Amino acid sequence: MSFRHLRAIVRKEISHIIRDRTTFILVMVTPTALLFLMTYALTVDVKHVPIAVLDYDQTPTSRAFVEQVTNGNDLDLYAQVNSLEEVNRLLVHGEVKAALVIGVAFERDLLSLRGMNLQIIIDGTEPKTGGFAVERIGGQAEAFTGELLAGQLQSLGITLSSLQPVNLSVRALYNPGLKSRVDMVPGLISMVLGFPALSVALTLAHEREHGTLEQVLVTPVGRVEFLLGKMIPYVVVGLANVIVIPAIARAAFSIPFNGSLSLFFLLSAIFLLAILGMGMVVGVFMRTQPAALALSFLVIFFPGFFLTGIFFPIVAMPEMMRMEALGLPGTHYAIITRGIFLPGVGLDVLWPYAVMLVGLGIAFTAVAVFFFRKKLG
Amino acid sequence: MFKRIWSLVIKEFIHLINDWWMPAFMLFGGATELLLVGWATSRPMTNLPLMVLDRDQSLASRAVVVALENTGTFDLQSQAPNLATVHNALERGDITAAVVIPPDFDNELASPTGYPSLAVLLNGAESTPATAALQAVEGVVREMGERVTLRRLDLNPDEFARFNPSLRVWFNEALNEAYYTTPAELGLMLEFTVLFFAALSFSRERELGTLEQLLVMPFSSLEIIVGKSIPVILVGFFDFLLMLGAVHFVFGVPVRGSLPLLLVIAFGYLLVELGKGLVISIISHTQHQAFLLVMMVGMIDFMFTGYAAPVESMPRIAQIAANAIPANHWLNILRGILLKGAGLEVLWPQILALSLLGVLIGTFSLRYVRRALD
Repeated sequence: MSFRHLRAIVRKEISHIIRDRTTFILVMVTPTALLFLMTYALTVDVKHVPIAVLDYDQTPTSRAFVEQVTNGNDLDLYAQVNSLEEVNRLLVHGEVKAALVIGVAFERDLLSLRGMNLQIIIDGTEPKTGGFAVERIGGQAEAFTGELLAGQLQSLGITLSSLQPVNLSVRALYNPGLKSRVDMVPGLISMVLGFPALSVALTLAHEREHGTLEQVLVTPVGRVEFLLGKMIPYVVVGLANVIVIPAIARAAFSIPFNGSLSLFFLLSAIFLLAILGMGMVVGVFMRTQPAALALSFLVIFFPGFFLTGIFFPIVAMPEMMRMEALGLPGTHYAIITRGIFLPGVGLDVLWPYAVMLVGLGIAFTAVAVFFFRKKLG
Repeated sequence: MFKRIWSLVIKEFIHLINDWWMPAFMLFGGATELLLVGWATSRPMTNLPLMVLDRDQSLASRAVVVALENTGTFDLQSQAPNLATVHNALERGDITAAVVIPPDFDNELASPTGYPSLAVLLNGAESTPATAALQAVEGVVREMGERVTLRRLDLNPDEFARFNPSLRVWFNEALNEAYYTTPAELGLMLEFTVLFFAALSFSRERELGTLEQLLVMPFSSLEIIVGKSIPVILVGFFDFLLMLGAVHFVFGVPVRGSLPLLLVIAFGYLLVELGKGLVISIISHTQHQAFLLVMMVGMIDFMFTGYAAPVESMPRIAQIAANAIPANHWLNILRGILLKGAGLEVLWPQILALSLLGVLIGTFSLRYVRRALD
């Protein structure tokens, strides 16, 4: 391998990227811009869920309960209705996501400690908002009945410090509010850095499509030099994004960065080599750009989003998918980025994932080089 | 005219078949991916690794451990010997949560005025499983607390069960995750397939220098556009049918409304996305550019499909913008027909909005692309 040859290929690639201003800007900004967009899209806190109330009781107690439930930003009273048909209509139209049905004798039962005649109806097509409504209404109901019961018991001569005698203290480490944004941003970095890999796959297919590959190969440049030379500019593109991302994450989303910045860069560079290796494999096998694009979408983009554990935890996946997830560089890198950003751990904890990344990088590159030789005979 | 369009369509299919990877991906890629992704993500949160630090080692503390195991949420790891082990495991990300039972737990629980306490430590570096773990632990604690209170008051537990509100879930009685995730995933795959296919149509010809050849042939610009569009629509519709089949037969999502209505609307939706794709295709000079633009447009659309967060919870301005996103209306219609059994009388506002957007985007696209071609 000659350094001069490598440099020539890198220069050729860079001039390809820069010559077309629009493509250059798009290639540069896509990862960070998408990180921004996706963070906003994926981590909106659920609030202002519209609910309907059907109050068969119509007593001061039932009205006080409705008041307590719809107070605040979580649940909004969309409509007071008079029949179950109306509840149904609102749910089918999607105008409300949940409904609260207060049964007859709600007040009487509660005051005589005979129970609570209350039903929550949720729209099961939106489990996220539905579950949220159940949780909030349930919590309010508990607080409401607790207060009422304590009062009732007191009048009977029984004093209770609390109806819930077991105290649960909760501590969420590294992310005190358990905000999904805090771990989503570091996780998404692994996904958006997959874009340079898609670009590499496209440029390789581009050379083949335009017949320029043969021209390069008759020069004294070797195949490994050629592939490496193609990768390096995109490693640089990726690293340029890696440099700005922690700053943006901090400024725009107040995500802490507790680990070592230099370790983050080092491991990001290794990840970029691995994921670009994956892009190379795609580019080597596909002869046209549309095919390269489709395949890289199916093996890099979608799995990078759904199967690397940034969206759905790997431990909860079926066994086979877990195996597949371990073959994706993004899985290991997402663990690394979250580890460095949040607990701020170092190589002593992260080395197995770093080793996996190196291994995957070598494996992908080897496959690309091997088949690149073979295909060109 | 039809003969000329026909020859253009044939040309497109020859392109497709020449590289057999392409039709394979276009036709089956989306459905395969949907199966994989749907399978991986449409399940309840289980198997979360949990550690217990039991400093009490009593009957009561063991009952807590059993109750935690019975939630089905956790995969109980070996007992932790001390707090340092717990912290270490959390830092390494080996466990999602740890429950610490203090030494006097049993005594406090047994004493009529005692105040037993438990602590839960969560790995906030993965908030989704951590939240699920917290909810499960809270459930266990609530139930335990209720029993203790009733015992202390000497009351019959059966009478007090009625203080919990009853819950009814409509349209998805078993709260099946797949009902929610797979239609959205279908929408995402369908949109990207159609956008990509359409976006590559002219940008590819232009990059390869064959667009000029096409233009000097005796085709009108309208014929070229129609000829380019037919294969995209055919492939897109085939994809939709295949994925709908997967959603219905593999993931068990019902089709409660009218299937013909759904198919008609799906066809209309494909035309809208096609219009967007053709504009991107004409703006882009290379396939690479077209690809990056599609990514941007597609991801912006994805924000508004309600997959991760309901549109109602977004800022006001985003809610207004959501009205201009075809995918948003399309997913509301898709979920409405599949799960709620809704018909025209319910969905007409969404259908109207989608049609209006379709007319707008379609007219713009047609005029813009025609002008660019002429």
